[in-house]
Amino acid sequence: MTKRETLLKKISTYQFAALDMQIYLDTHPNDRAALEKAEKYKAMARPLIEQYEEQYGPLTKKVTDTNTWTWVKGPWPWESEDDC
Amino acid sequence: MFIYEKKLQYPVNIKTPNPKLAKLIITQYGGPDGELGASMRYLSQRFTMPMPELKGTLTDIGTEELNHLEMIGAIVYQLTKNLTEEQIKAAGFEDYFVDHTTGIYPQSASGVPWTAAGMQSKGDAITDLHENMAAEQKARSTYDNILRFCDDYDVKDAIRFLRAREVVHYQRFGENLRLLTDKLDSKNFYAFNPEFDKACFRNKK
Repeated sequence: MTKRETLLKKISTYQFAALDMQIYLDTHPNDRAALEKAEKYKAMARPLIEQYEEQYGPLTKKVTDTNTWTWVKGPWPWESEDDC
Repeated sequence: MFIYEKKLQYPVNIKTPNPKLAKLIITQYGGPDGELGASMRYLSQRFTMPMPELKGTLTDIGTEELNHLEMIGAIVYQLTKNLTEEQIKAAGFEDYFVDHTTGIYPQSASGVPWTAAGMQSKGDAITDLHENMAAEQKARSTYDNILRFCDDYDVKDAIRFLRAREVVHYQRFGENLRLLTDKLDSKNFYAFNPEFDKACFRNKK
């Protein structure tokens, strides 16, 4: 795995933990421990997302470079670095 | 509405092409128990679903199925990347190739194009929740069947993740059914359609 892929996997791990909690909360909306966990995992992903977007470009559509629309820059999620 | 995140839910990094396996795995893209059908089923059912918890579950699981659809697309793409004509022939991939080259097309393993005939939106919450629990189990069986033909760790790893999600979704739909029946008359859950005969929520003894 490249450095980029390793960082992305870390982000995905925290995001997934948060998502799994959120779906659990749909059927257990008053479970305070789960509410706290969902927020905790989301918060853990946040600085990593900032770091990723600074180094490799946006994960959601936004301007990260005033000279160019970096959103279109590869690799796209189904590709690897050697596809670009 | 939806916002795209430029990443997969779980990484897919396949190094060795295997078009024969791709032809099996495509069934989870557009086959009868695949991720496209799952997403369309839940995102369609939710409009008339009663109870906020059930609407939330269908929206969130229906959206997660789109993540899974994208992962399956990535798996098939990577399994069929940079193929030579010899590899296509040797793998028996010619039949898919003549119709779609190496494009990703929603079809079953036996080549039937995706059809909404494989899913239901019945407008009856009890019926739909049972359909959804069955759908998750059918998808789980399909992933178990796919795993029988996988010997590449990179493919297995992603398929196992998807298989595990079917089990979790099954659990959530089971909870949906319990939340619903808790609001209905326990003497006869089926006396009314909870989506159409809305008065049934007021009739509870």
